[in-house]
Parts: sequence; structure tokens; C-alpha cells
Amino acid sequence: MKTPFFDARMDFPEMERTRAEIREFLARDPATKTPHADSWSHFDPEFSRRLGAAGFIGMTWPKRYGGHERSSLERYVVVEELLAAGAPSAAHWIADRQTGPQLLRFGTEAQKQDILPRIARGECYCSIGMSEPDSGSDLASVRTRARRDGDTWVINGRKIWTSYAHRSHYVLMLCRTGEDPAARQQGLSQILVPLDASGLTIRPIINMAGDHDFNELLFEDVRVPADALLGQEGQGWNQVISELAFERSGPERFLSSFVLLEAFVERARREPSADAAMLIGSLIARLAPLRGMSMSIAVQLGRGEQPNFEAALVKETGSLFEQDLAELIMREVVPAADLTSADKFQRLLAEAVLHAPSFSIRGGTREILRGIIARELGLR
Amino acid sequence: MSEITLIEETARRTIADGLTPAVIEAAEHGAWAGELWDQLAAQGLLQPAAIAQDAAEALEIEAAVIRAITAAATPLPVVETILAGAFLVQHRLEVPAAPLSLAAFDDSDRLSLTNGRVSGRLARVPWGRDVAAVVAVAGDCLLLLETRSANPSRGLNMANEPRDTLEFKEATPLARATGVDSDALLARCAAARALQLAEAAARVLELTVEYAANRKQFGRPIGNFQAIQHQIAAAASEVASARVAAQQARLALAAGKNALMACAIAKARANDAAAAVARMGHQVHGAIGFTQEYQLHRYTRRIQSWRHEFGASAYWNRRIGELILRDGERSVWSILTATA
Repeated sequence: MKTPFFDARMDFPEMERTRAEIREFLARDPATKTPHADSWSHFDPEFSRRLGAAGFIGMTWPKRYGGHERSSLERYVVVEELLAAGAPSAAHWIADRQTGPQLLRFGTEAQKQDILPRIARGECYCSIGMSEPDSGSDLASVRTRARRDGDTWVINGRKIWTSYAHRSHYVLMLCRTGEDPAARQQGLSQILVPLDASGLTIRPIINMAGDHDFNELLFEDVRVPADALLGQEGQGWNQVISELAFERSGPERFLSSFVLLEAFVERARREPSADAAMLIGSLIARLAPLRGMSMSIAVQLGRGEQPNFEAALVKETGSLFEQDLAELIMREVVPAADLTSADKFQRLLAEAVLHAPSFSIRGGTREILRGIIARELGLR
Repeated sequence: MSEITLIEETARRTIADGLTPAVIEAAEHGAWAGELWDQLAAQGLLQPAAIAQDAAEALEIEAAVIRAITAAATPLPVVETILAGAFLVQHRLEVPAAPLSLAAFDDSDRLSLTNGRVSGRLARVPWGRDVAAVVAVAGDCLLLLETRSANPSRGLNMANEPRDTLEFKEATPLARATGVDSDALLARCAAARALQLAEAAARVLELTVEYAANRKQFGRPIGNFQAIQHQIAAAASEVASARVAAQQARLALAAGKNALMACAIAKARANDAAAAVARMGHQVHGAIGFTQEYQLHRYTRRIQSWRHEFGASAYWNRRIGELILRDGERSVWSILTATA
């Protein structure tokens, strides 16, 4: 049986220096006055620009692409501090977490020079073009097709659940570019498409919390230049798998509703009870090891490894935790959850409860993640 | 780290040689596995502090030994002897070369020290009948008490390991030291039990994965069924987090920083994780896992016994919560980031 690798030793003095820097930034920034649960789905370009100007986006990238050449653990610290503060981080989140690293890994020199510095400044935002109306968990069944026509790709098809496509600049598409092959994972490629391309229609999908975050994208003969291809033609599947390791292992997989715990503790400090203490303790006992696991993965990613097994374990354990956090507090407390309340606790409770169903769906459903873990254990 | 791996391998080999089916069977019926004990002692595995460069390395050696003995469900007071020795060393007392055990370091300890004599009761001392002496606390005094001087009443945990209640009447301690922090001893014991729980759970997971890959029903291995895969996957997550929590406790103990919080977290996490994994292991194994002839119960009965030693989940959850609620100055986040 394969054993996942986790090492919680964190002898990295630069971490605490970075933590002090980002805390100072966040303490002064106006956006953190109103913290949000699931704050990485709150879109605030002004905040992202300020964050970028302060050097907290593209932290690990080379300086020649606008990055800051800092360690992956330093980036980890910044990301977890943003979540813990409930800072509105959606605008730059995807670009910083996965599109940028994909460009860095697979992009041409021209693509890197063109796009990465803008991402790092907090000015350029990206969406994920994976799911389609008929392809959710079964990602290899995507049908959106890019056909080569001279110096351009001509794209036809549909993408869905494309968060903030209506406010972002690029969508990194997984498209079918080859002839129908025997293995569905072949003949796929990644193409970077500007979201203002002609022939591309973006339709809003409002989520159950009332937010416009999702979209459906319709591609009708959308033309992009040949050099919009990312990486190698036909290697799209392998590239997407490496993208998912960035997507699945981060602290946003267990800290989405953390600000609610902070607000719950503030209340409980005013009226301490044994019940509240027990609940807080039971949550912290799950959260602390999750952080250790996720930081261990950040170190591995920084070494260029692909800890897919470990990432699946973090996402499985983490999404259950962040859902339980809202659920267990709901069982405990009296005041009603209310999105419109001036009371911070009541508002955060509503935000967390209304966003919680998505926690074990986005970035790979619980069922898909458990399947990956089972495969790593040798059961598939 | 290779030295630690070497020590773990030595321990595993020693146990593989000495813990025969006959020894296991005899221990289930109350026999002392003396030959295996002597072998472990001869290898120097029972006193990590004596072979380690510093406290941090002693903790890593201790963990290596715990991993090895737990993977084989070794029915001996290895953890108790190592911890008792560590407490004696910490208080500059000599460590006797004999099996040792521990008090519970909680409300069940009822000892008083008057004019140098100890009276009262220690409940459910691991291997109380077999060990030479037990480390306990009365007030702010660390005591080493000879078990011969006590009146024992025998008990067992659910894995048929001795848990004997010792009654002392004006006993003279073998050694004593003042300035002991009973809470810190409890936390240290909790961290060690947490690692035992995590490692026993890891063994249950391993046995279950093997079983699911080999057992065929409906014409295929049951591990092919998603209903089975998903239970096992969820259990693998529990094992991973319990192991990391145990490591975090060890690191906090080595650093001497926020150790109470980290040990509390480790025990609370391991209690719940191991219980969930034990339940899953039995479910996937079906009826065979419920039999005496199959080895699953050697791990699951220990898990069920260890869960409430050195603090059940409710106890530690409450303590963690109180540590946070009483720290009115700091946010939960700043407490958490200072802990790990």
C-alpha cells in the first residue's frame, strides 16, 4: 500500500517574516473591514491591484516575468492570511494559483512576457475552461473543439461553471484538437482565449446564494491566433492534471468558512460555555493537522514534485471540515443566519451555509477525490 | 534521519522475531512477554534519552519505537516505560533498568504525600502487576513508587492488557522530585497515545486495503466497488491527519512551545480518526474481521482502549476550546499560526 508523504516540520524562518508583511498590509487595507466567508469567491479588482502592487501576487515567479522569486511556502502564508482575513480575493485567485503557474511551466517566452507581469500586478484575471454542460466530473469527455485554420484556431462548443468569466481577461480552455482517438484523454489541448473574443457569448448563471459568479460560455467560430495554444498540441490532458495539483491542495480547501469560526469565538468569549469550548476545540483539532498537510504539499510543489495523492487527501479532508464548520455552528447557535444583517456573525453564518454545498463539488467532487485516493491505494 | 530509520528497523526486526503467535496468545491470557522485553531492553530501545543527542532526537527515536511496536500490536508497556524514564530524566532522577508504568495524571489519581510517605490510589495503571515501579504525581511532587509496596486489584483493557488499580498505604517512594507540572506530563502521555492510535489506525487501513484487494464477491475483488473504495479513501484521510497531528505534537514538545495545545489537538484528532478507521475496517472486512482468528481485532481493541486513556476527545476538545476562549487578546488565527 502506498503511503502519502507528509512532513509537518516547518523550519523556514522566511515564513514568519512574510506573515508579518502580509498581516501589516491586510491590517491597513480597507477591503478587510468587511470580511467574507468564502472570500476567494468575492471579486474586487481594486483589492487585487493593491495586493499586486505590494508584491503578493506571482510571488514564486521569476522577476523577469514580474514575479518576486519567493518560496512556495511564503506564497502559502500569503494565501492563508488572505483567507483568514476574509479578504475579497477572487479577481486574481485563479490566475495566481493555476493559470500563471501553467503559463510558466508550458507557455512560450512571448506568452510569459505578455501575460505574467500583468497577472502579478493584479490587473489580469483568468477563468478555468474545463467543465462543459455534458462534462462535469467526467472531464475527459469534453467536446468543445478547436480546429486549425491557417494561422488561427477556430473554437466551437460550450463551457460552464466558468467563474467570473464576465469580469476576467482570459479563459484557459481544454479543447479537443485531434481526431477522435481511441483513448479519450488523447487529442486534447489547452488554449488561452481572450474573453472579449468575437463569437464568444457569456451568459450569467446565478448561484443559490444570489451571486453572479458562474457563467456559461458559448463559442461560435471564435478565432484566436495559432500561438494561443498553451504547451503542446495533444498534451492537454497531462497539462490539466498538473494544473489540478495546484488547484486542489491549497488552504482554500479548508479555510473558506474560517472567518465564521473567528466570529463564533468572538461571541463565545463574551458568553463562555462548556458547549462552545467543546465545539471550538473539536474544530481546531481538525484544522491544525490540515494546515500541516497543506503546508507540506506547498513545500513539495516548490520542489517541482506532483503530490497528487496528498492533494486529494487534503481536499477530501478539507472540504468535509469547512462544510462541518458551518454545519456544527448551525446546530449550536440561536441567532438567525441573514445575508443582509449588520451583525457580522449572522451575515457570515449565512454566507458560509449558503456557499457550503459548493465546497465538496468545486475543484473535483468528493466522489472523484475519493476515487483518486482509492486508485493511489491500489484499489483501482 | 537515517539513524532513526535504522532504530525503527531494529525495533521491527526484534518484534518480528520475538512476538510469535504463541507469545501473543499467552499475553492475551495474562503472561508477561519477558523474552521479548529483554530483547527490546538489550537493544536500548526503552531509553531513547540515553542514546539521543538532544531532546528533539529522543522524541524522534521514541516515535520510531512507537511506530514499530504499534504496527505489531506489541502487548508490553514499552510506551509507559519510555515515558516514565523520560519524566525521571527530566527531573534529574535515576532511571531503574526495569519495566515501568505511569499514573493517569488526571482526576482519577488519588495520592497524598505526608511526611515523605505516600498513601492513596492509582486507578488502571498499565501492567501494574508486571512493572517494577510507577511514576506518579502528588501535589507538585514527582514520585517513583514501587509496585511491590501497593495492594493491586486487577483489571484489563479491552485488548486484555493489564490495567491494575494500585492502593498505596504509607509507602516510601523510591525517588522524588519537586516542581512537577502534572498537566505537562498528561499532555506528553496524550501525544504518545495519539501516535499509537494513529499507527494502529494506519495498520487497520493497510489490512483493509489488502483484504479488499483479495476478497472476491460477485466475481470481482470487493475493492472494485465504489461503495468500498470511498469508505477506505475517507479512512486514509483520517490516518493522514492523525499522523500529522501526532508529528505536530512531537515538534511542539521538542521546541518547548505551545506543547499543551499541540498535544491536546493530537489526542483529540487521533481519538476520533482511529475510531472512524476501526469502524470502517470492520465494515469492509465483514464477519471475518469479527473473529478471534483474524488479526484485525488486535488493533481495533487497542484503539477502543486507548481512546479514553490520557484524555478522551470531549476532555481535550474542551481544553482546546478553553485555551482559546481564555486567550482574549488573540484571534483564533494568531493562536493557530503560533502553534504549528
